[in-house]
Amino acid sequence: MAKTKAILIDITKCIGCRSCEQACKQIHGFPMATEAKLSPTALTVVEDHGDRFVRKMCMNCQDPACASACLVGALKKTELGPVTYEASKCIGCRYCIVACPFNVPRYEWTKLVPFVKKCDMCFARQSKGELPACVEACPVQASIAGWRDDILEEAQKRILLDPKYVKHIYGSEEAGGTSVFFISDVPFEKLGFGEVPTQPMPVLTANALGDVPTVVLVGGSLLAGLYWITNRRKQVAWSEMRETAANNASGKTERN
Amino acid sequence: MSTPLLSESSNQGSLLSKITLWRTIVVLILGAGCYGAYARFALGLHASTHLTDGQPWGLWVGLGTLCGVGISAGGFAIAAAVYLLGFERYRPIVRVSVLLSFLGYLTVVIGMMYELGLPWRIWHPIVMWNRHSILFEVSWCVMLYTTVLSLEFSPALVEVIPWKAFRDFYLKWHHEILVGLVMVGAVLSSLHQSFLGGLYLLAKGKLDPLWYSQYLPTLFYLSAVPAGLAASIMVAYLCMRSMNARIDPIILTEMSQVIAPLLYVYALFRGIDLCTHGGAAYIFQWREESLLFFLEIGLFVVAPIILLSQEKIRTNPQRLYLTCALIVMGFMTNRLNVSVTAFERTSGFHYVPMWTEFALSMATVTAAAVAFHYAVRYLDIVPKNPPTKKWIVEGAATA
Repeated sequence: MAKTKAILIDITKCIGCRSCEQACKQIHGFPMATEAKLSPTALTVVEDHGDRFVRKMCMNCQDPACASACLVGALKKTELGPVTYEASKCIGCRYCIVACPFNVPRYEWTKLVPFVKKCDMCFARQSKGELPACVEACPVQASIAGWRDDILEEAQKRILLDPKYVKHIYGSEEAGGTSVFFISDVPFEKLGFGEVPTQPMPVLTANALGDVPTVVLVGGSLLAGLYWITNRRKQVAWSEMRETAANNASGKTERN
Repeated sequence: MSTPLLSESSNQGSLLSKITLWRTIVVLILGAGCYGAYARFALGLHASTHLTDGQPWGLWVGLGTLCGVGISAGGFAIAAAVYLLGFERYRPIVRVSVLLSFLGYLTVVIGMMYELGLPWRIWHPIVMWNRHSILFEVSWCVMLYTTVLSLEFSPALVEVIPWKAFRDFYLKWHHEILVGLVMVGAVLSSLHQSFLGGLYLLAKGKLDPLWYSQYLPTLFYLSAVPAGLAASIMVAYLCMRSMNARIDPIILTEMSQVIAPLLYVYALFRGIDLCTHGGAAYIFQWREESLLFFLEIGLFVVAPIILLSQEKIRTNPQRLYLTCALIVMGFMTNRLNVSVTAFERTSGFHYVPMWTEFALSMATVTAAAVAFHYAVRYLDIVPKNPPTKKWIVEGAATA
C-alpha cells in the first residue's frame, strides 16, 4: 500500500478535556451531550480509567475485517488509509459488527431505517488535506495525525527515549496493523484494550474462500462420475435383463 | 387426489367443529407473529429485539438462518442418493425431503426480510459484489439453491395444472435437466452449509474456544448432513402417522443406519479438533458454557449414538422419530451455542431474545408447517394408502 494516513494517541498526554469528542459531534451534526461509550452519535469517546483517559475510535485497520465481511462492499479501505462506509450500499446485515475485532461499529437500533456508524478518520477532510477534526481540536497534542510511516516512527521514538512508556505500540501488530496507534505508560490490558489476533483478520476467511473452486470442481466431477457409474449399471442391468429374456424366449421356442 | 378433498367435505359440519386444538395453536402463533411483524417494521429493531452491538446477531440468525438451512440439508442428500447414486429404495421419500428443504429455505429467505436492517435492499448482493466476503458467497448460494429447490420441487405443482400440453412439455423438459439440477444442488448446498460456519471464522478472539475452530466450515457441514437426514426421517414419520402416507418403515431404519456413522465421524472430528486447538482445556472448567456444551454433545452425539445402536429403536418408527428429534434439538443447540453462547463472555452481554423475536420465528416455522401439511395433502408428495373402510362408510353416509 502506498502512503496512508494515521493517528497516534499518546495516553500519557491526554488530559480528558473531551475536546475531540465535541469536535467529532460537531462535525457530524450529532447532539452535543457527552456519552460514556461509543454509540451511533459518539464515534469517539474518552473513557475514564482511574487516572488515565483512553480515547476509543475506529482503528481503521490496514486490512479491515469489516471490509472483508461486508457482502456488498459498503465498507472499504481507501487508498488514503481511512476505512469508509457507503450507506447507500448497506443492507443492514450487521456482519461487520460481528467481525470487528475491536468492537467498534455501532448500529442505529432505534431507527426504522438503521445504518452502521463508525469513525472514518474524517476521510472527507483528510482528502482535502485537512486534519481529522478530533486531532485538530486536541489542545495538548495527545492525538497527532500524519503519514503512517512518520507517525509510527514518532511513536517508536517516544517509547524508546522515555522509559515510562510500555514497550508496545498498540495497533502496530493488532489485527495485522491499524491506522490508529496508542502508546501508554500503563499496561494496555489495564486500560480496557482487548486482546486481538495479530494476523490480518481477512486471512482467516481467505483459505475457506480459496477452497471454493476446488470444492466445485472436485465435488462436481465426483458427482458426475458417480452418476455415470450409476447410469452405466442401470444400462448393463437392462441389457442383461433383455438378453436373458431373449434367451428364455428362444429356449422356449426350441423346446416347443 | 380426490380422496382428501372428499374426506374434507365429509366432516363438514358446523363452524364450531372446525375449531380443533391444533388449529387454535396455529392461529395463536400466527397472531403473535403478526404482532411481532408489526413491532419489527413499525417500531424498529430496538422495540422488537434484544439485539445490541455486543450481540448483533441473535435468535433470527441463530435459529432462523443457521438451523433453517442446516435442517434443510436432507433434501440435497436424499436427492443425490436417489438420482446420482441410484439408491432407488429412497425414492418414496425424495419428494417429501425436497419439500422440507424447499420450505426450510423459504423460511430462511422470509426470515431475512425481518432480520436485515434494510430488507428492501435484499437484492443488493446481486449487483454489488465483494468476493472476499463469506456472507457474499452464502447469499449467492442461498439464492441459487432456493432456485434449484423450487425447480426440483416444481413437478409436484405442475402435475396438478389442468393444461395437458403444458404439463407434458414441462415435465419432459424437467426430466432432461433433473440430474444436472441435483448435481448443482449438491455442490451449492455443500458449499454454503460449510460457509455458514465460515462466517464465524472472522470472529476469532470473540468466539469461546469451545466453539471457535479454523475448521468451523467442516464442522458445520459434518453436522448439517445428519441433522438434515434426521429431520427428513421426522417428516416422513409424521406423514406416515397422520397423513396416511405409505412409506416402508425399513427406509427409515436404513436412513438411521446412515446417520449413526455420520455422527461418529462428526464426534471424532470435533474431538480431535477440540484437542488440537486447545478448546478441550475449557470443557471441564465449570462455566455456563461447559453446561451448554455438554447439553449440545449429549443431545446431538452421545444420546443418538447410544439409542441408534439399539435394534429395537432403529426398527420402531416412533422411537426412531423421537431419537431424530433429539438429534435435531442437539443440532439447534449447537448452532445457538455458536451464534449466541460463544459470544457472551467476550461481549459481556447476556442475550435473551425478546418475546417478539420468538413470536416471529415461531410464526414463520408454523406457516411453513401449515404449507407442508397442505402440500402433502393435495399434491403427490408421498405415496398414500388407499382410503380406509371406515372412511368409505362415513363418506357414504354423508353423501
